[in-house]
Amino acid sequence: MAAISSISRAEVLSLYRSLLRTARQFCDYNIREYSKRRTIDAFRENRALTDPASISAAYSGGKSQLEIAKRQAVVYSLYAPKIKSVMEIRPN
Amino acid sequence: MASKLLASSLLRQTLTKPAARRLSTAAAAATATEPSPPPPPQLVDDEGVTIKGVKISARPLYLDMQATSPVDPRVLDAMLPYYMARYGNPHSRTHLYGWESDQAVETARAQVADLIGASPKEIVFTSGATESNNISIKGVMKFYKEKKRHVITTQTEHKCVLDSCRHLQQEGFEVTYLPVGPDGIVDLEQLRAAIRPDTGLVSVMAVNNEIGVIQPLEEIGRICKELKVPFHTDAAQALGKIPIDVEKWNVSLMSLSGHKVYGPKGVGALYMRRRPRIRVEPQMNGGGQERGIRSGTVPTPLVVGMGAACELAKKEMGYDERRTEALQQRLLDGIRAKLDGVVVNGSVERRYAGNLNISFAYVEGESLLMGLKDVAVSSGSACTSASLEPSYVLRALGVDEDMAHTSIRFGIGRFTTEEEIDRAVELTVQQVEKLREMSPLYEMVKEGIDIKQIQWAQH
Repeated sequence: MAAISSISRAEVLSLYRSLLRTARQFCDYNIREYSKRRTIDAFRENRALTDPASISAAYSGGKSQLEIAKRQAVVYSLYAPKIKSVMEIRPN
Repeated sequence: MASKLLASSLLRQTLTKPAARRLSTAAAAATATEPSPPPPPQLVDDEGVTIKGVKISARPLYLDMQATSPVDPRVLDAMLPYYMARYGNPHSRTHLYGWESDQAVETARAQVADLIGASPKEIVFTSGATESNNISIKGVMKFYKEKKRHVITTQTEHKCVLDSCRHLQQEGFEVTYLPVGPDGIVDLEQLRAAIRPDTGLVSVMAVNNEIGVIQPLEEIGRICKELKVPFHTDAAQALGKIPIDVEKWNVSLMSLSGHKVYGPKGVGALYMRRRPRIRVEPQMNGGGQERGIRSGTVPTPLVVGMGAACELAKKEMGYDERRTEALQQRLLDGIRAKLDGVVVNGSVERRYAGNLNISFAYVEGESLLMGLKDVAVSSGSACTSASLEPSYVLRALGVDEDMAHTSIRFGIGRFTTEEEIDRAVELTVQQVEKLREMSPLYEMVKEGIDIKQIQWAQH
């Protein structure tokens, strides 16, 4: 973020959806559930932010998390174990 | 004669068999366009894997966070570049490879220091908490051996602390192993009374690895400061889980581990106070890395991983803590709602929530662990698991032999889900009920017989 530019609602929602989409791509049960949960909780926590500077900090933080998640979803898929977690095999 | 005949026929069979096989493969090779390589021994098939003779069709849900934790993907992301292009030796002073690795190591040092409220200059990277404990205990005592001949520790310390102390005893040092109360907490007055003019070190762990109780470190630190005795704490299980401040605790030395905070295995750190300065005799000699305290090339990727894990832990501590507490409550409530005779080992109030050590009365612990094959838990520390001896930590608490045998440690972490806890509760309850149904002891208790009063026949 060069200057403190105001980030639109649409941009925030798009980031949120991208993070959730990437989270779903993790083949590991625990990492996938964590990424989804952490994304939802972080956006809920920051819902009340009004100060443009902190909104923009939270936004760029989320952007960098998205980059990490995209890379790691690929890495995890490359070394996925042959057998899945017991939590995925017999869903209750 | 008959046996000789049998032997010769057997020999003939074994001799002819390979020949026949060779013929058939040759025929197969002739028909196929290219010969296929021999298949590797099958460990994994469609159904699952076979490890140690056990057929496993799914990965068990993991509730053994005190043994080790999974590497956080954000940590791995920080580490990977140092396994690829940035492979330099951080001690190389003459080229970019060295410089960039050195910079990464120093960043990691600052990240670790930041989490415990120390200065980066006070952090020494080691191979893990075991090495840090060894340097602390043996190193300090050997450095000050002319005047200080006495060490104080507790009976519930980790094996590596107790073993280092035993080693010192063989060299003529004296060691006091303080007992702990039934809640696993050390008595402060007893500690104060045990300190002598020649006491060179007090070593008390922060969070117990088996029962999760938190020792009163601030108070111990105050006593040590007052009596001018160096204080060492093994904080491997505490790092990133409870707030750590080296000033508040007044520790001179602190052992830290990477793989208990979602970092990589094979790396740890030692905090060494600079003011007042504590000195140690190095246990590893060589190139003089880490200010000569721990020679040997610093493993850049691992250290970067530990740094990233610490930075993450600082950011996520509040969030993780809230979740772990809720999950621990869910687990305990779930089990207590369906089972009686469930005892939490160690203090309930002064406890790290991610560690729940429970005993199930009238159940044999090993059978329970074997029955819970879809849940990865352990009876105590990984170092002593699989031995039929009850844990020495539980014995130090004064837990009865029969209850010490039935303990299970549930370790909850950052990646544990509610569904996993519910499944673990369901499976544990099922297994305990099954074992109790078979137990004559449980039947007698239900009939109102006090089994403690029974006079067992001696053989």
